[in-house]
Amino acid sequence: MGDLATYAFTGIGLVFFAAGSAGLLRFPDVFSRLHALTKADNLGLGFIALGTSFQAGSWRDVALLALIWGLMLLAAATVSQLIARDALRERDGE
Amino acid sequence: MERTVRTAFIHRLLFTSGVWVVLSGTDVKALAVGAVAVPFATWLGLRLLPQRQHLVLGRLVRHFPAFAGGSLIGGLDVARRALSPRMPLSPGWVEVPARLRDGGRVAMGAELSLMPGTLAAGVRDDRLLVHLLDTEAGFERAIPREEAAIAAMIVEAGPSSTAAGGAP
Repeated sequence: MGDLATYAFTGIGLVFFAAGSAGLLRFPDVFSRLHALTKADNLGLGFIALGTSFQAGSWRDVALLALIWGLMLLAAATVSQLIARDALRERDGE
Repeated sequence: MERTVRTAFIHRLLFTSGVWVVLSGTDVKALAVGAVAVPFATWLGLRLLPQRQHLVLGRLVRHFPAFAGGSLIGGLDVARRALSPRMPLSPGWVEVPARLRDGGRVAMGAELSLMPGTLAAGVRDDRLLVHLLDTEAGFERAIPREEAAIAAMIVEAGPSSTAAGGAP
């Protein structure tokens, strides 16, 4: 039962990672690409962490997975703002 | 004032202790190192980033379902656009008045970057620049809602404590 949940959730996570990568390659400019990376990869890692947590041996492993996801979320959301701000400055020639 | 600093220290100490235990476990050696490292990190954190605003944790928790739902829709929306052969995009910009400051502003930018179709790209002349993935989809309607939700979580700790989120 746990294994089935792991397959299902990590599978969903991989689809989101693939979609994020597709957006990174296909979208026309840096801003649109950031949408794909932050939003799709957030869910990708979230679902993989959720799937992996069904294999966890202790509450600490689950908390660790949640912590990794949270830190990645924080990093992605912060860095995407910085890249967007910088790209905008460059575009406007400041 | 002394009292607010002590409260802030205790709150942050609890948070950092939690992170430490999750990272290094409840082994005696790990706890011994943590007994030194955690108070030091908390003290350093307070020095580098003094408490100017504090979070209302209950409101943060209450906002979580909306955040989780919004980021799920956001991820599904961008995944659909990225994988669709037609790749429906209509990128554009909106500017909104940036009412929050400091950490609240950063938090709102981070939140918007995970909500459907919006991406914060900094503040210029007190206006928050938001990139929209599709200008026809009405993504910008979520901006004031997110701002109000974040404003409700923040209480200014300074002497001039006014209710956040009201008119500028």
